Amino acid sequence: MKSEHNDISPHNQAMHPWYDTAVATVIVSGAFSVVIFALLAANHFQRSVADAKREEQLENLKTTLRSQPDNQQLISQIRQLDLQIRQHRIRRHDFSRKGAYLLLASVVTFLVATKCAATFRKKLPEPQLQPDRRDEQFREAKYARWAVATGLVMLGFAALLLAFMPAIDFSAGGAAVASYPSDEEINKNWPSFRGPGGLGVSAYTNIPASWNGKTGEGILWKTELPLPGHNSPVVWGDRVFISGADPNNREVYCFDALSGTLLWTGAVGDPVSSGAEPIEVMEDTGYAAPTVVTDGRRVCAIFATGDIGCFDFKGNRVWIRSLGIPDSAYGYASSLAVYRNLVVVQYDQASAEDGKSKVIALDFFSGRTVWQTNRPVGGSWSSPIVAEIESKPQIITCGDPWVIAYDPANGAERWRVKCLSGDIAPSPIYAGGLILVVEPDYKLVAIRPQGRGDITDTAIAWSVEDIVPSICSPVSDGELIYLLTSDGLLCCHRLSDGTKLWEKELERNFLASPSIVGDRLYLLSEKGVMFILQVGVEYKELTRCELGEPCFASPAFGNGRIYIRATEHLYCIGK
Amino acid sequence: MARSWYITTGVALLLGLSCAASAVERFPPPEFETGYELPSPTTPAPPHDAYEYVDAAVLLAALGVSSYLVLKMRSRRAIFALTVFSLLYFGFWRKGCVCPIGAIQNVVLSISDPSYAVPVVVALFFLLPLIFTLFFGRVFCAGVCPLGAIQDLVLLRPVSVPNWLENALRLLAYVYLGGAILFAATGSAFIICQYDPFVAFFRLSGNLNILVLGSSLLLISVFIGRPYCRFLCPYGVILRQLSRLSKWKVTITPDECVHCRLCEDSCPFGAIREPTADWSLRDYVIGKKRLAFLMVLLPVLILAGGWAGSKMKNVTARMHRTVRLAERVYLEDAGQAEGTTDASSAFRATGKPTEELYAEASDIRARLERGGWLFGGFVGLVIGLQLIGLSVRRQRTDYEADRASCLACGRCFEYCPKEHARRKNSRKMV
Amino acid sequence: MAKDEHALTRRHFLRDSVWGTCLAGLGALTGVLIGKFRRTDTVWQIDPYTCVACGNCATYCVLEESAVKCVHASAICGYCRICFGFFGPEPVDINEGAENQLCPTGAIKRKFVEDPYYEYTIDESLCIGCGKCVKGCNTFGNGSLFLQVRHDRCLNCNECSIAAACPSGAFKRVPADQPYLLKRVDHA
Repeated sequence: MKSEHNDISPHNQAMHPWYDTAVATVIVSGAFSVVIFALLAANHFQRSVADAKREEQLENLKTTLRSQPDNQQLISQIRQLDLQIRQHRIRRHDFSRKGAYLLLASVVTFLVATKCAATFRKKLPEPQLQPDRRDEQFREAKYARWAVATGLVMLGFAALLLAFMPAIDFSAGGAAVASYPSDEEINKNWPSFRGPGGLGVSAYTNIPASWNGKTGEGILWKTELPLPGHNSPVVWGDRVFISGADPNNREVYCFDALSGTLLWTGAVGDPVSSGAEPIEVMEDTGYAAPTVVTDGRRVCAIFATGDIGCFDFKGNRVWIRSLGIPDSAYGYASSLAVYRNLVVVQYDQASAEDGKSKVIALDFFSGRTVWQTNRPVGGSWSSPIVAEIESKPQIITCGDPWVIAYDPANGAERWRVKCLSGDIAPSPIYAGGLILVVEPDYKLVAIRPQGRGDITDTAIAWSVEDIVPSICSPVSDGELIYLLTSDGLLCCHRLSDGTKLWEKELERNFLASPSIVGDRLYLLSEKGVMFILQVGVEYKELTRCELGEPCFASPAFGNGRIYIRATEHLYCIGK
Repeated sequence: MARSWYITTGVALLLGLSCAASAVERFPPPEFETGYELPSPTTPAPPHDAYEYVDAAVLLAALGVSSYLVLKMRSRRAIFALTVFSLLYFGFWRKGCVCPIGAIQNVVLSISDPSYAVPVVVALFFLLPLIFTLFFGRVFCAGVCPLGAIQDLVLLRPVSVPNWLENALRLLAYVYLGGAILFAATGSAFIICQYDPFVAFFRLSGNLNILVLGSSLLLISVFIGRPYCRFLCPYGVILRQLSRLSKWKVTITPDECVHCRLCEDSCPFGAIREPTADWSLRDYVIGKKRLAFLMVLLPVLILAGGWAGSKMKNVTARMHRTVRLAERVYLEDAGQAEGTTDASSAFRATGKPTEELYAEASDIRARLERGGWLFGGFVGLVIGLQLIGLSVRRQRTDYEADRASCLACGRCFEYCPKEHARRKNSRKMV
Repeated sequence: MAKDEHALTRRHFLRDSVWGTCLAGLGALTGVLIGKFRRTDTVWQIDPYTCVACGNCATYCVLEESAVKCVHASAICGYCRICFGFFGPEPVDINEGAENQLCPTGAIKRKFVEDPYYEYTIDESLCIGCGKCVKGCNTFGNGSLFLQVRHDRCLNCNECSIAAACPSGAFKRVPADQPYLLKRVDHA
């Protein structure tokens, strides 16, 4: 059976002359390969560990630099580190490439040497005696069949496991998953300027009616605001949102409604902030005049620079955009409005002939512009409201000279009425089936919001020329409408026909818009005194409550609480 | 200094004010006074097209040479040399891409997707080895495939895999083939390319995970011959079936087998089959019953497999990016996911309604359900046939290379005394 | 004996017919594929209008130095003194110091042209394709910086790893004779 005996039998002493060399090469190249491999692995891990740490350090240094922009030593340190990082990166890359080639070469050498050594030591086959292979073959076949069957069972288990894993059902979800809050939820909170619908009306009946800011009686908490602004607080659940800005910084703050702790600060900035001169706005307006808006999942804020940013309730910045610097004579002040998943921005600028004004709807989730429509108006400082008119939502805007209603779905104009002129600051309201708009210092107009297109000739229900506010927006309970001028003149008109029922000189200055809570009227004076009156056909003052700090912003109302922004602090009145 | 500052900011303000919110040109292009010329972006062209045809020609030549070396010249050394050449050319020079294994996906995609057309060279890479296998056996695996070459060349100390394990592990290759076709046909992913263990070596760079996978496989290959080829290669599965039918086949002995048994342990890939023992009458009776049972079991396995495959649609669909995106968007909208991902925010920025996305995802799931039937049925069929194949009586009188498993490496030739005789004769003649 | 011979012939016939079917099948497949052959091969490219500059291009390429680089369409560029692709957020001063730059490798070069315009060019040997400059330019600037696959570097893998990881699906197969999707001035 065996063929010729030859020199390479293992029992023979004489080995192939090159055998030792082959073995030596195997050992050397094997060791070399291991070393190179270890070096390459170390190189790779260095990149992911040491380099990452260096980059983190660089980021920290840069952050420190922002607070000390003139620290020359820090600057040179940063430049050094940056250069170091780049050099390391190039070096590592080089090393990997060269190392890979070296490793390849040494592995090939190792393989060749091993093969040679093996060939030099080759043994002849020595088959054993085996009489009958039948049993063996049958056994092998049986084991093989069972092995395949086991494989089948294992695959089967895996398949069943995968088949019955829980999965998302797209068809069911759809309608049930709402990315915007329901009307009920909106009415329970204060999601935008002047609350749900922008009416300045709170449905809660347990709002406090007495407090004293000086003694602290009735004040639940008082927290200092880092940056100033004239915007009102916005409340959702147990969160209070407000924004503040100075020429270089624009921030959104989130406070806990129960304790007043500042939970997080969100910065809204863009690269221009430090490099160029900040834009100029009138001091009375400030950089953070527009009130923020929330949909219960996110909060969105816009500033006088045209920067608009959106944060989730945890403080993570979701998106930020620049709408371009608005050309606004007194500084941009229109608050944001919200409808479902849209943020509505009334972006009125310059004069009507310039054609720069527009209304923009952004997607709350992504900041994408869903639609925008040009407006034939000049700059205005009133805020848009969303009203549900004949079960269809409409966005109502005031400008010079048109009052225009838009369809929130696509930004198309529904109707427009020409009845205003001048610098429009008071915002419109929808009450008793009428849209009420104010032309500062001149008149109060009630519009019946029916029809399409230009309905100026037919839609004006009544118009009253009187001393009307130039800043504060009106408020109504559906039967009476109250107007408050900045000098302190409070007028009460009947909603149905506009007749003035009474007026009262309050001898105070007011910048905050009036609010109605239940059957009481709340007026916040510039000095921080809240006048609480009885809603009715006669003037009836119930009480006055002092805060002790000047207030320019309209208050927000929550469940048994009032949130007031004073010049330095945010107050929460309640128990 | 201050004046230029004001000029600049004034210009910036004017520029800033004069644009719309989201227009592309927020800053209008400047008008230069100094005759400055705008540079334009460079566009380096991809490597020349014709080079790919050279690849196809080399493939054809290599296949031809391999057939000659395996069947006519019968020289292990020559086959080894060809293997080294293929590794260098198709592997390190051409970076192992496009290879016939991956070409399966391209071909499948072009059949299922009317908008995708497979390039000529890729089709050639797919077809040429198949045609050669139909004629000459697995000569592609022998000396041409770079993945096989790299495993073959690191094989230092072959350990034989027990027969039962070999049969069980081979199922993985069928599952891999089925999965690759399923995902390629539905446009979900090219999993053969994604999980190619050796291409990272050919490129000398790659994802850490793939490098680890490849290194592990190579380490195994040092002891167990060509594990990827035998237990994982999806193309090898096709070659197995075609090789069974080939016109010419690899034989251990050049003429007749003298049953010297010297070649028994010579194959590192377990492809040598010994002569079969006789069956007694009892063996036949049992065997027939078993065979009948397995034949009945076959359609059951196919149906059960198909059913299981279709039921997996929710999980297999996740291989498709659209389904993953839809699931993510759904979770975010339902408030069950924190924050957003790049993909979901990019999607929302396009303004496409989510209903449309969900509809697309449901559509893909439906396709994977239909495909799942085929995939599961295929796996069931393979298992059933394998069981039947292990029960059927084979009648062999000589030591033969199993036509499906033989990788035509030629290692067994020199173990055969008849081969030695033939070589001595041919040397004498020369 | 005769039965054996018949059996042999029957088996051979069976095998031959299956063989013939397989060969015919391959032929048919060739025919189907010929009908869909493309004259030119395809290569991978990024659609700059879909790209969100997520940064995956720098990390997912199978090559250690990514084949994706930033490209500058000067015709769209505003040549601003304060370039939002060059300067990071809140730069300390408007100069080319490392502390002010957005690019981690310093691949964007800033050169004064004439008042008040500055030219910005990309040094491809330094660019790693991270897309930070692209994001800045797209968010606040004109969007003249964008990422493109460079075909003198790209291996043209059958399945591009970056394409599989791209969150916005910006990777497309384009014909090899028109391998670039550049941004143009007149694009809406």
